[in-house]
Amino acid sequence: MSIITVKIPTPLRPLTAGQSEVKIEGATVGEVLQKMDSQFKGFGDRVLDDGKTVKRFINVFVNEDNIRDKKELDTELKNGDTISILPSIAGGKLATKRHKNFFVIFVPFCG
Amino acid sequence: MIKIPASLLRQIYQHTEQSYPYECCGLLIGSTDQNQNHIVHAFRQCRNLNTERARDRYFMDPVDYLRVTREFENGPWDIIGVYHSHPDHPSRASQTDTDRAIEIMATAWSYVIVSVQNGTVAGAQSWVLNESERKFYEEPLVTVPEEGESK
Repeated sequence: MSIITVKIPTPLRPLTAGQSEVKIEGATVGEVLQKMDSQFKGFGDRVLDDGKTVKRFINVFVNEDNIRDKKELDTELKNGDTISILPSIAGGKLATKRHKNFFVIFVPFCG
Repeated sequence: MIKIPASLLRQIYQHTEQSYPYECCGLLIGSTDQNQNHIVHAFRQCRNLNTERARDRYFMDPVDYLRVTREFENGPWDIIGVYHSHPDHPSRASQTDTDRAIEIMATAWSYVIVSVQNGTVAGAQSWVLNESERKFYEEPLVTVPEEGESK
């Protein structure tokens, strides 16, 4: 079994009692993340969708490689690998889904 | 409260003006004091990967984010916030900013937003996410005279 270092980003550290990294055993990324969920309550809810895929706004790197470019959660690990969990940082000046509704009431003028 | 050395804030402003009319982004590096104030010691520019809508959106390159985490992983500083620009728009946190921050529960970070009007910085505000209320509240942004590291 491989010993993996998992790097925890600041937004997730409340779940790991402030730890910035955790050593854990696992043969695949999925196995390591499941063990993280067992060890730290709520971790899986923040990182995984139904425990099967990584949430779309989370990036998981094994060393320098994004697992979306590899085999996702089935990406294999070797002893000494580092997993970095990074939230997607995004935004912008305008709203996306919310639209103001404009109602125009037409009152015919009768003179 | 977030404290930023004036020299660093000027350099962040330069980044936002050079990127105009597009949004730009970067990471704030520093420490947190006993009163939970953030003190910025450095910043790092990151690429905006949202090239299709760069005038009103940003998506920070995760590889840049990874690079910065690697650079500072041995301390003593940490990533304490994010900055980005609002070209021709106020420095208020938008609904998009709020929605994306809620997704990642970024309650521990300061979000500095720089308003750039016609290519020139018009001002900046800093925001902190309140998770339970799902909204940003402004925090004081204070410039301090000390020189800091930049890049």
